[in-house]
Amino acid sequence: MAGIRLEGLRKEFGHVVAVKELTLNFPDGKFAALLGPSGCGKTTTMNMIAGLETPTAGAIYFDDRRMNDVPPGKRGVGFVFQNYAIFTHMTVAENIGFGLKIRHVDRATIEKEVKKVAELLQITDMLDLNAGRLSVNDMQKVALGRSMITRPRIFLLDEPFSNLDAAFRAYMRGELKRIQREIGQTMIYVTHDQVEAMSMADNIAVMDFGVLQQFGSPDEVYNRPVNTFVANFIGSPNMNFVKCSYRVEDGQGWLVQHNGNARVPVDDRRRRLLEQRSDNAELILGIRPEHLHLHSQQDSPDLLSVTVHFVEPLGPKTVVHLRLGRDIVRAIAPAAYRAATASVQWIGVDPAFMHIFDGNSGLVIR
Amino acid sequence: MSKANIWRTVLRYVLVIIVVGMFTFPTYWMVSMAFKPKGEWSSAAGTIYWVPENPTLDNFDTVLTEYQGKFFRANQSSALPSIRSSIIVSVGATLFALLLGTLAAYGLSRFSMDTGDLPWYIALGRMALLIIAMLPFMVLWARLGIIRYWYGILTFTLLGIGVDQAIGRLLARFYKGPTGSLAFSILQLRMFPPMAIMIPVMLMWSAFKLVDTWYGLVIIYGVVTFPFVVWLMKSFFDEVPRELDEAAIVDGSSNWGAFIKVVLPLVKGGLASTALFVFILNWSDFLVALLLTTRYWPTIPVFLNTLVSSEIGAQHGPKAALGLLAVIPPVVFGLMIQRYLVRGLTFGAIKK
Amino acid sequence: MAHIRLENVTKRFGRTTAVKALSLEINDGEFFCILGPPGAGKTTTLRLIVGLETPDEGNVLIDGEVVNHVHPRERDIAMIFQNLALYPDKTVFDNIAYPLRERKVPRSDIEKQVAAVAKTLHIEKLLDRKPGKLSGGERQRVAIARAIVRQPRAYLMDEPLANLDALLRLEMRIELKRLQEYVHETLVYVTSDQIEAMSMADRIAVMFQGKLLQCDTPGNVYDFPADRQVATIVGSPPMNFLPCQVSYRDNGLELTHAGFRLQADGERHPLRDSLQQQIQEGSDLLVGVRPEDVLVHERQVHAAAFPARVSVVEPLGAETIVDLRLGPHMLKAIVPPTQILNEQQEVWISFNMAKLHILDAHTGIRLYTTGEEGALVCTPGTAWSNSSLTPPS
Repeated sequence: MAGIRLEGLRKEFGHVVAVKELTLNFPDGKFAALLGPSGCGKTTTMNMIAGLETPTAGAIYFDDRRMNDVPPGKRGVGFVFQNYAIFTHMTVAENIGFGLKIRHVDRATIEKEVKKVAELLQITDMLDLNAGRLSVNDMQKVALGRSMITRPRIFLLDEPFSNLDAAFRAYMRGELKRIQREIGQTMIYVTHDQVEAMSMADNIAVMDFGVLQQFGSPDEVYNRPVNTFVANFIGSPNMNFVKCSYRVEDGQGWLVQHNGNARVPVDDRRRRLLEQRSDNAELILGIRPEHLHLHSQQDSPDLLSVTVHFVEPLGPKTVVHLRLGRDIVRAIAPAAYRAATASVQWIGVDPAFMHIFDGNSGLVIR
Repeated sequence: MSKANIWRTVLRYVLVIIVVGMFTFPTYWMVSMAFKPKGEWSSAAGTIYWVPENPTLDNFDTVLTEYQGKFFRANQSSALPSIRSSIIVSVGATLFALLLGTLAAYGLSRFSMDTGDLPWYIALGRMALLIIAMLPFMVLWARLGIIRYWYGILTFTLLGIGVDQAIGRLLARFYKGPTGSLAFSILQLRMFPPMAIMIPVMLMWSAFKLVDTWYGLVIIYGVVTFPFVVWLMKSFFDEVPRELDEAAIVDGSSNWGAFIKVVLPLVKGGLASTALFVFILNWSDFLVALLLTTRYWPTIPVFLNTLVSSEIGAQHGPKAALGLLAVIPPVVFGLMIQRYLVRGLTFGAIKK
Repeated sequence: MAHIRLENVTKRFGRTTAVKALSLEINDGEFFCILGPPGAGKTTTLRLIVGLETPDEGNVLIDGEVVNHVHPRERDIAMIFQNLALYPDKTVFDNIAYPLRERKVPRSDIEKQVAAVAKTLHIEKLLDRKPGKLSGGERQRVAIARAIVRQPRAYLMDEPLANLDALLRLEMRIELKRLQEYVHETLVYVTSDQIEAMSMADRIAVMFQGKLLQCDTPGNVYDFPADRQVATIVGSPPMNFLPCQVSYRDNGLELTHAGFRLQADGERHPLRDSLQQQIQEGSDLLVGVRPEDVLVHERQVHAAAFPARVSVVEPLGAETIVDLRLGPHMLKAIVPPTQILNEQQEVWISFNMAKLHILDAHTGIRLYTTGEEGALVCTPGTAWSNSSLTPPS
């Protein structure tokens, strides 16, 4: 096991800066995710940790040992890629044991270790099958096993399940998490799918354009995002963003909508923060769809009037797209919800779950 | 820099100069020779003139005009007919091979099923089987006395193609891996160097009355370069995703229209570099032209070979002059298509 | 608008059969989704409709006419490929204009029509650029513009959103759905993402390994899946399946799993009726229950709850997925984010009794679904003693 520390890591490809001054601490034995859209620098970061790329500046430490000049083969890193590299003419057992075989480990030990790994991955009944005949899903499990058997200190996984079908991905998320708990090795998982990152990782590093946006637990990045990028990227359906500005009316602090007439009250703590700000710059109100409560009548005066724009039934729940003034917001409704387009409904904003962001920088105001 | 580093750098430069010199010297020598007067290039003189002291255009004059002098010269005429011959034959053969080869390559790229990665023993076996299978027919044709005639040759050739395809299919029954599709049959054409087949070619050409004609040369050059065109163009076509053809078809093009309007423009670079490659191959061929031309259609390399007189042996000066002139068309062609060439040489510059 | 029908169509490639005896009927103006995992035969089906493939058996009919051997250009159907297939050396304008030029539309009309379509899709400013210089979303729109400009009688789309970022996909889904409602033409949409199918389609055809499993509205496919495969494909995480055995009693029947028991009381219980003909005593059946219908409690809140153990917790923000161990079996449950559970914690689970499915373990076919009537009673299993909370693992 090894804790990984990145200090001021930077990578340039000609004029393009792929990774900008990244400082990060991945705790020992934990599952970490590098999450972000394509081009955010997550794969480049992983490649630097692996030793496949040399940093332009900055350092990488495994357990306080500087690794910049250590070649990839000697870093003790295990890889799993999207395009599994399986030896199709060997059996599953031979594939998994390969890493030990080239290290000249004796056969008895290889057999024992292969069995252990196969049990962990639940593929014991496939050990004698020819690897080339497996389904794509099983092949990826074998690839996982092959990299696990040499007990690397660190596992690097680069979107290993993105080519596989949805049901298997849902299944492997739970499995991979369980396996990581059992073997206790540090895992770093690169993905652009926030569901994967949220479900498996202990800590998520959200990146955009080479810059680290936030590093925290799933709960932190979901409920306490530091800026609009993180808030928008994490969570499906996305958080609603409404442009507004702060005004004092009737002795109360309100966030008043730019593109409409709606307003929501601001709690005292944040009211103070907002009044301390020098300019009356634009603000962005962020609220997740599940925290907007739909009512068919104005049950209370706080509710805001909306019209139905679009109803999206998704099986277990329904996403309702609503027009609030000239903005569009989304709310979650039960599966059986039905409402006619353009009908009038009412929504309540749960103040405990309201986020306020600065309109220019995107940073959260807490 | 440390002393060792200085030595290393110096050594590096020295090596570079030597290697570059080795490659550029012959060209320099030829260019300088072209402008030397007779006194400087003939071997009768004892000294070597590294730089022409009295540069002159006499050599070009000699080469491009009819010789009226009194000394016997093996070749009385100027080089102009041979220049004409080279141009017509090379351009013609290039167009011929490009036309057929590009169409074949497109077909193979889009519709061929066999992978083409043959194990060497299958490839050898297939060719050996073909030869063995055709032997009895050779004997038969000879017995019938028709092998010397154009109809005999034609029928034998067609039979050979049929047998080759049959062998392929037969192999497929017994061997599960790739056995070679039409693409392999085309490649087979190039597995024998042209020299190896020149004697039968000469016999065939005389049977078909193709010797010492421009079209005779065009055909043999075309056939010999056809596999190159196919293999080069196929790789370029493979780089163009099939979906583009299909999108064009769905958008309303016919299959042919999709090829002309969508796919072909995308392989312009490949076409240009293949054309240049084939043209140079044809332009510089000596052996085939030597064997298949006599009086009227020798190409430049053949003509160059005849630049010899009884008094001084090989005429280096005029040869160099003609050589220099001969370099011009390929270079001009290359410059003309240069802007397509860069993209063609970097295979797969076409990103979607 | 086009009415498309496939009658018993089979298509083989060498030794593999991509599509087996497929029969589909797509109505005029419908947003029709073909859903399935990779290799299901969805793309082949699309290609059969547009004419890039010819059926080995069966017929493809468009508006009542058999078109098996009709060239794609005569079928008047537009198709958007998975990798968009934009002509890379042509400008956006030329790309969109291409189909019109192939149909010999006069030049002035071409300019007008391209401009109109570009306006609808907000790409007027991009007309002079080449595809290489566009973003993913912009290229999408150009591909769509190229299809719309010809005003074909039907549109086919092959996983058009698969290569887009998660965020962009969400946006494009809404746009596509609204576009289809506005244009109101037949749209056949292939995807392997069940959320796309559920949110956009009027009807879904679920395919697997070349066969059609079920063709129905999203609601029906979700609530009443035809078989195990459909229930796995539609819904994420997929439905849980727990094996059990049936035993018939005088006053009803019982389905026994080590962890729990389901009883259907009454001689004329609907479940007994549907099972009795086909299923014998002691046969293996599967109880199917979706993760959102598995409720997790920290204490035995009522008699129907039975013990299980938490294996892993997957927090997704808006909800949490809990992997549970029930004896040798695993099942997933969806719980609200406020419910905090720990790994290895012992819990009690119960089912939403109105949403249980009974399936044949061998064929996978769904035999019965509980509803408002036909309810079952659930009790903890007798395989474990009452003194220990946890099932043997």
